Amino acid sequence: MRPARLWRLARGNLARELGALLVSAGGVALGIGCLVFFLAMGRGVRKVVGDVFPVSTREVEVVVPQVGIGSFLGEMKLDEALVARLRALPGVAAAYPRLALRIPAVTRYNGLFFGRELHMGLELVGSGVPADLVAGDARMPFADEGEGKPIPIVLNRRFLEIYNKVFAPQRGLPTLTDTMLVGFQFPVELGRSYVAGKTLPQAYETALVLVGFSDRAPLAGISLPLEAVRRINARFGQDTGSYTSVLLRAQDSQKVSSVAAAVKKMGLELDESERNRALQIGAAVELVTVALSLLATLITALAAVNIAQAFYAEVRERTREIGVMRAVGATRGDVASLLLVEAAATGIAGGLLGVLLAFTGGWAVDALARTALPDFPFKPQSFFVFRGVHVLLGIGVAILAALSGAFFPARAAARLDPARALTAE
Amino acid sequence: MNGNVIELRGLQKSYPPREPGGARTELFRALDLEVGRGEFVAVEGQSGTGKSSLLHILGGLDREYAGEVKILGRDLRGLDDPELSALRHAQIGFVFQSFNLLSSLSALENVLLPDFFGDGVPDAHARASEALATVGLSDKASARPTALSGGERQRVAIARALVAKPPLLLADEPTGNLDARTGQGIIDLFQRLHREGMTLLVVTHEKRMSRAASRVLVLERGELAADPTLEGSA
Ligand SMILES: Nc1ncnc2c1ncn2[C@@H]1O[C@H](COP(=O)(O)OP(=O)(O)OP(=O)(O)O)[C@@H](O)[C@H]1O
Ligand SMILES: [Mg+2]
Repeated sequence: MRPARLWRLARGNLARELGALLVSAGGVALGIGCLVFFLAMGRGVRKVVGDVFPVSTREVEVVVPQVGIGSFLGEMKLDEALVARLRALPGVAAAYPRLALRIPAVTRYNGLFFGRELHMGLELVGSGVPADLVAGDARMPFADEGEGKPIPIVLNRRFLEIYNKVFAPQRGLPTLTDTMLVGFQFPVELGRSYVAGKTLPQAYETALVLVGFSDRAPLAGISLPLEAVRRINARFGQDTGSYTSVLLRAQDSQKVSSVAAAVKKMGLELDESERNRALQIGAAVELVTVALSLLATLITALAAVNIAQAFYAEVRERTREIGVMRAVGATRGDVASLLLVEAAATGIAGGLLGVLLAFTGGWAVDALARTALPDFPFKPQSFFVFRGVHVLLGIGVAILAALSGAFFPARAAARLDPARALTAE
Repeated sequence: MNGNVIELRGLQKSYPPREPGGARTELFRALDLEVGRGEFVAVEGQSGTGKSSLLHILGGLDREYAGEVKILGRDLRGLDDPELSALRHAQIGFVFQSFNLLSSLSALENVLLPDFFGDGVPDAHARASEALATVGLSDKASARPTALSGGERQRVAIARALVAKPPLLLADEPTGNLDARTGQGIIDLFQRLHREGMTLLVVTHEKRMSRAASRVLVLERGELAADPTLEGSA
């Protein structure tokens, strides 16, 4: 039977059975709507997680093992020589050593802060990073100017988000943009700790100046120029010959595993706590997405059962017409095709409706989140990422569900005995 | 092929009981029939003797029988579903006792129905309009079956049976729902088709139809016999 003819017959039947088929398509739409909605939500939430815990697929953080073979073979130190060896590993594009500030530090702020009185003391954690890691994001020079000069610092961009969404509202402070903050200078007392309640004999006061925000800066604490940290550590008599960790950037993400293997072979370790946390959260999001998608699939399966019932009823009702078609030359295949085309059309309608439903649902949730949810750090513009594949998958699953629902009725129709069909009640 | 369009040898047909424990309906035990090319055969018989059942077997619509059935020289037993469908499509025109139209299609589309299947019908639209004109329904081409009278539906069904110009026409009381004048129109039409060489087997209660036929048979107690009261005029 030619497709155009088949479609003409199917269209007539679809129009006649519109009521029942709309109910069937509605069921499919509900299932597909949920499916596409949850898939897009899973993707959207993963994106939010990625913003909160950005994990570079190209970078690994190298540390000296706490207790390891290295300590038996003699002290293992992340010194210049070792950094050079790491940098020379095949597949490594760049190596950025990081040096922790090995003494406590506090900042106390008493004064006007953007028009508001602010009194605050804070314990500071800091580390030195090479200028080339963050200099691209800094708005002012990121270099140690030596004793007595304010030390430039860079903060991870996420600090600003947390300040604006949590810190500022709690204390009635204004929300800030990075441009407003760059150049902000505040005192720091090196060698003093509020938490431990002690002050080192060499403790002294100097100033820090914020020169920029960067995603590359470590999340923990403030980032200072490497030379500044080395200078301060030296002044307090701390070891200056070794780094705390080295950030290795691979030439591409495929080379990361071979780089990691080479690093381990050297007796060094990888600090994967951030990556692992991100992976765990990602896996949890994935799991919930899969569970919800299964639920949606179940709804779609129920819709398929409903389609089966509707088509059985249709076959019963149209038994005589099927007999007539057989008498004028329709094969069993023609009869089955006709019903399956009707089912596919129902599926496509349900699928499109479902996708529309998902879009609308996503839009409604986003609108609600914008107005009804309080502002929180990393609150996204949208909790959904709709992709073309979701739409295709939704419509594909809808067609599949409709076809599988109509399969047995279509087979029953094809198997009808023509003579009996013609004389059916 | 020996020129016979229909050939029955020892046809046996019975229906299983409608209710469990009931008796089987025995229709024929050993029916023989030969209808030559170009014959116009009328079949009479009381209600329930199996006339419709016989037509269904001849048309390849009912395969639950014993014995041999040859249509246009081909043993129906040996045909698979696509072959049998093709035979019905191109070689056999049916007019059913209870006229069956597809309610979602217009009168014209119902006449065109054979064109939907198989290789279609050459020149289908022209032929369909012509067939509708032949049964006097040109003005009802776009009407839905629900908007047609019983007799009009019957005539649409006749037009449908003729659209593919089949060599064999099987008709089950085609004038049953028609008034005398319209019925006569159909009888005239059948006579014309007969003159043009079509083979017709028509189940009828109408004496006028039987008179128009070249041979009249009566189905009684499972046997086909020549009508004793009336012989064909042609
Ligand atoms: N599918 C079936 N199952 C059981 N019995 C059947 C079936 N179809 C027909 N019969 C029986 O077979 C007999 C013959 O039926 P058929 O319709 O062939 O008669 P007919 O000669 O065409 O009668 P009418 O003149 O009333 O149309 C009837 O008794 C009928 O009840
Ligand atoms: Mg009958």
